[in-house]
Amino acid sequence: MLDNKKSVFKLGRLSVALLIAGCSSMVMADKFSDAAQNWVGSEFTPSTLTEKQQMNEMSWFTEAAKPYRGMEINVASETLTTHEYESKTLAKAFFEITGIKVNHDLIQEGDVVEKLQTQMQSGINIYDAYVNDSDLIGTHFRYGKVVPISDFIAGEGKAVTNPDLDLQDFIGLDFTTGPDGKVYQLPDQQFANLYWFRADWFADEDLKKRFKAEYGYELGVPVNWSAYEDIAEFFTVKVKEIDGERVYGHMDYGKKDPSLGWRFTDSWLSMAGAGDKGLPNGLPVDEWGIRVEGCNPVGSSVSRGGATNGPAAVYATAKYVEWLDKYAPPEAPGMTFGEAGPVPAQGAIAQQIFWYTAFTADMTKPGPVVNEDGTPKWRMAPSPLGPYWEEGMKVGYQDTGAWTFLKSTPVDRRKAAWLYAQFVVSKSVSLKKTIVGLTPIRESDLNSQEMTDLAPKLGGLVEFYRSDAREQWTPTGTNVPDYPKLAQLWWQYVSEAASGEKTAQQAMDGLAAAQDKVMERLERANAQGECGPKLNPEKDPQYWLSQPGAPKAKLPNEKPQGKTIAYKDLIAG
Amino acid sequence: MNKKKTLGLSVYIIFLLLPIYWLLMMSFKDNSEILGGLSFWPDTFTFDNYMTIFTDPTWYTGYLNSIYYVALNMIITLTVALPAAYAFSRYNFMGDKHLFFWLLTNRMSPPAVFLLPFFQLYSSVGLFDTHIGVALAHCLFNVPLAVWILEGFMSGVPREIDETAYIDGYTFPKFFVKIFLPLIRSGIGVTAFFIFMFSWVELLLARTLTSVDAKPIAAVMTRTVSASGIDWGVLAAAGVLTILPGVVVIWFVRNHVAKGFALGRV
Repeated sequence: MLDNKKSVFKLGRLSVALLIAGCSSMVMADKFSDAAQNWVGSEFTPSTLTEKQQMNEMSWFTEAAKPYRGMEINVASETLTTHEYESKTLAKAFFEITGIKVNHDLIQEGDVVEKLQTQMQSGINIYDAYVNDSDLIGTHFRYGKVVPISDFIAGEGKAVTNPDLDLQDFIGLDFTTGPDGKVYQLPDQQFANLYWFRADWFADEDLKKRFKAEYGYELGVPVNWSAYEDIAEFFTVKVKEIDGERVYGHMDYGKKDPSLGWRFTDSWLSMAGAGDKGLPNGLPVDEWGIRVEGCNPVGSSVSRGGATNGPAAVYATAKYVEWLDKYAPPEAPGMTFGEAGPVPAQGAIAQQIFWYTAFTADMTKPGPVVNEDGTPKWRMAPSPLGPYWEEGMKVGYQDTGAWTFLKSTPVDRRKAAWLYAQFVVSKSVSLKKTIVGLTPIRESDLNSQEMTDLAPKLGGLVEFYRSDAREQWTPTGTNVPDYPKLAQLWWQYVSEAASGEKTAQQAMDGLAAAQDKVMERLERANAQGECGPKLNPEKDPQYWLSQPGAPKAKLPNEKPQGKTIAYKDLIAG
Repeated sequence: MNKKKTLGLSVYIIFLLLPIYWLLMMSFKDNSEILGGLSFWPDTFTFDNYMTIFTDPTWYTGYLNSIYYVALNMIITLTVALPAAYAFSRYNFMGDKHLFFWLLTNRMSPPAVFLLPFFQLYSSVGLFDTHIGVALAHCLFNVPLAVWILEGFMSGVPREIDETAYIDGYTFPKFFVKIFLPLIRSGIGVTAFFIFMFSWVELLLARTLTSVDAKPIAAVMTRTVSASGIDWGVLAAAGVLTILPGVVVIWFVRNHVAKGFALGRV
């Protein structure tokens, strides 16, 4: 009897406990779904999903995050409008919807790479995830320190992978895929470098007439470097002033600073036509001039089959120095990337061959290059091509900042960070994020009605991303075995040419030798396994120059007839 | 002659203050005006840059973090350096002169060489990304300097005062705190100022040994540089706010700084 009473009492206690637990979990569930409802209703609009689909996706996040609730994770990315939005708004939303607190740290791009490298080398967890440019894909797949997300999705991370992630919807997935076919990083934001010009000046009848009279063809979007050069000369030397203001036909930067390397490693050589055909980066020689055989980098000097100091690369470097000197504003050679970037928005530049769409948001603010109705006076268009360029080669650079997870991060923390990474690229939030930061990543967002409506204010951004041409703009590829070690060589050697200390040929010879030396060290240290560098023995450069493809022999005429196209025909075509 | 001197001095002071004036003016301009052209006074006066810093936790916690570890460093350094300096000033022991000189040579090593050892050590004992961690790292450079400065001030105090205190029945701790420290308080102030100076502007160690929780303001400032340009206005505002604590500290030790530069020797 007594026992019976006891068990009844126990049962009662248990049911009360269960009731309380049930109620509290209901309260919790309500708390998270209420938060989701709030965010979906207020912030995550527009979206390519219906509100119901968004709520379904959000409730999946709430549910999947249950085991990690109360956790605090740290992620790092560079400072861009897109990441600011993630750090300030999306991290807060993620916390309220999942209960996982994210410190989304914004630091300088160089610092992101430095912290990432420190973690890779020491094995000590500094951040739980990084948004790191896919330029490091060759580094990541060789060192074996990064978790390929395709492996993670199939294995450890299965339970925390959003069934609606839709990997194929990401336009930059090729760039984050290694030669082994594995996806190493998840794209988070993208921007390209394109040609930029003052459409209002190019449409001016008087200027058009003067240009035609001078050069014998129409003033328009340059198709080749000859035309770009002519237009640069026209505005800087012939036109000189528009509405009483001094104008220039070219803008660039040349300060001895690490950022000088970017404009080169970001495809300057491939625009001239230094590499081989084959997308995304050219095979066997890529836009850095590095030759790969199988998966092994075998050299960047012409004597080893590379093209870093080949005639096309030397031509590209010489043109950079010449145009900076002759056609850019006098202060440009003393500027860094960050200082030179906003200059076209000040209204004195007619065109820029190498302009990052990351500046679009700033360029659409009221000012000298924006009409009163908010539409821009400028347009972006595909970059002109150098004389060495051939059909089938990449045309320009496209940066893909992508989520990167290291093996040295404890699995639980990695899973929580993976949830956050998927959240900030989920279809529920990605269209809004694209509109805020103008760095599109999803095909579905690009094809949305909202982007169509926005297009007239973005000067050609939407048109570019919707066209097939965008496939020809790619980041640094897998031929580069150690991006941080090799990238830092470029600015040092290029600046020797920019300052006039050395000729373009001498500077590129030095660079090619320095790249080979780094790769030789990697080979000797055997740090990168079977896909690490295995340098070719040196041969007479003539041997390689007489083979088909890169390195290409010097052209007898590096300045063919200039060719332009009217912007309206370009869009129509 | 006098007029010439005044003129020369005025030109010199204007020359010195111009960058600070420029920084201050930049902090009240927006980026388009900063990049637009030369103006000595903001066309459109704005507090937006300061608002960004005061309303964004990642910005103002950078200041709080820096103040926190600089204060910790000052406390630790003075606690260690005061007795050490007293020992060097009052006692003779084997190798004391060599040891004293060796302390100063510690400052000759660039902080960069200590990055990796510190990083590994701190990560393995859980000091990575903590305020105390950065404070301890800065002690490596601050303790020797503090010992040197304090020793100078202490040697300026006659030994007879120590002896008189003992005759009067003071215990050593009581004498040290009640009589000796007040006698060298200006020296302590100057030492604290130098410790502050080093720790406040040091970036390399502080940046490498922190990630999120203890990130210094100097590291937060680097976020103004991005792929879409530099946020000059916010950077200038952060610069102005970074100078302010230094100005406050200098105000308190303004009468003793010259003596401090002589390492306390009179």
